[in-house]
Amino acid sequence: MAKNNEKDDISKMSFEQAIKELTGIVGRIEQGEIALQDSLEQYERGMTLIKHCRGILQRAEKRIEKISEQHVEPQER
Amino acid sequence: MVKAKAKIYTVGQVNTLIKGVLENNLPSRLTVAGEISDWKVHGPSGHCYFSLKDAGSVLPCVMWASQFKKVKFKPESGMAILGTGCIDVYPPQGKYQFYVERMQPAGVGALQLAFEQMVKRLQAQGLFDDKHKRELPRYPQRIAILTSESGAAVYDITESIFNRWPCVRLFLYPVPVQGEGAAAKIAAAIRDVNGRNAKLKLDLLIVGRGGGSLEDLWAFNEEVLARAVFDSAIPVISAVGHEVDVTIADLVADARASTPTKAGVVAVPDKQEVLEHLTGIERRLAGELKAALGLARQRLETLLANAVFRSPRLLARNREQRLDELQTALAAAVRGTTALARQQLSQYYERVVKIEPHRLLGTMALELGDLKSRADRAVTAVINTARMKITAKANLLAGLNPKAVLKRGYSITMVKETRQVLKRADEVQIDELLVTELAGRNLIESKVTKK
Repeated sequence: MAKNNEKDDISKMSFEQAIKELTGIVGRIEQGEIALQDSLEQYERGMTLIKHCRGILQRAEKRIEKISEQHVEPQER
Repeated sequence: MVKAKAKIYTVGQVNTLIKGVLENNLPSRLTVAGEISDWKVHGPSGHCYFSLKDAGSVLPCVMWASQFKKVKFKPESGMAILGTGCIDVYPPQGKYQFYVERMQPAGVGALQLAFEQMVKRLQAQGLFDDKHKRELPRYPQRIAILTSESGAAVYDITESIFNRWPCVRLFLYPVPVQGEGAAAKIAAAIRDVNGRNAKLKLDLLIVGRGGGSLEDLWAFNEEVLARAVFDSAIPVISAVGHEVDVTIADLVADARASTPTKAGVVAVPDKQEVLEHLTGIERRLAGELKAALGLARQRLETLLANAVFRSPRLLARNREQRLDELQTALAAAVRGTTALARQQLSQYYERVVKIEPHRLLGTMALELGDLKSRADRAVTAVINTARMKITAKANLLAGLNPKAVLKRGYSITMVKETRQVLKRADEVQIDELLVTELAGRNLIESKVTKK
């Protein structure tokens, strides 16, 4: 978990990855494994992850693209 | 005696007659119930040869490969069937036989039987085993739906997904879902998206169609489709027909939605639940942080309760006091050191004074004077001795000077011409001039007159 480019890092994450990391963070904080300073950082990262997840959930294009044998073409429903 | 000659037929004519009788008296198509015996499929041609029999009767049967291809189940000896076709004569063997065009199992339907047989076979090969089931993604992002573009199923599936999980991207791969070749096309589509998935990045496939007769759903019972589903690296959900319909695809797939409208429940999580979960996590995170901060604050307060923090000036004063103490101690130490040094100095002075240097100097001057006179005397003696030795040597040397003897009256005579000292008489001639040296470098010249 690189601390540099944290935001870019998270924005590229899939929902699955983000949830997985979140679960890890909550677990570590709950078990009191980390120092207060780290807790603060983890909390902030956790909040960014939650925001990212909510952002993904907000996406609702509700459209269906069509795959045919050789090309992909978007098609409005 | 018979007048009229009895007509003689050839074998061929007889068979042709019989063929005519059969054709005229039997229905052109008939359905026969019986039990299969001696079932044989001729390898190269694929034609089937067998008999139908009942308690006391046997009917030879043929089914051509082209017709047999359409039979979904696998006939075998002992199986009760209904065969439909026509009776005809087979002249080469002189027998009539039943040309079966269609057959179906007696009792259960043909497709039902075929389905049961397929289940048994694929099950034996392990295609339905749980160990082969791929885990479904928990939060799918890209799902491909393989179904008919025109059917209701595509709407049912997409709606059921979007209602729960609107953030997903759906892809429709249109395929025929019934009729000849449909299974092969769906199978090819599954293999196609798997082959291109590095680009498509699908995390889930849904194959399905709406309800229909067993025959309509048949594509989903075919082995070619079952194999494709089994081989797919992308997890596959089947969503075929009505609640009660179970297809081979359902059994092979990694998960089954009982109908297309249930696809969403199986395939995707509910957005509301996930949001609540997120909120829960958020609350837990905030709570934990608050607790951690509270704990830290408490510890800080405990520390601050310490007297040092309660009255910081006391700390400063304490330090000042300590500084004073140190200063005093330092001054005392300096004083002590100085006194000691002074004492040592006076001790050394005492010792130096006791040495009385001036007296020592007097004694040394005396000794020096003594040494000087002794040295002078010794040197004079040495010089005198040397001088006397030189005089003696000079006297000795003076005696040895040939010129010195001249003083005692001796003289040296030389031949004037040669300047050779004359030692013998034969060294000169009469009338030769001689030179004689006397003391004081007086020279006389003389002439030899006699020898």
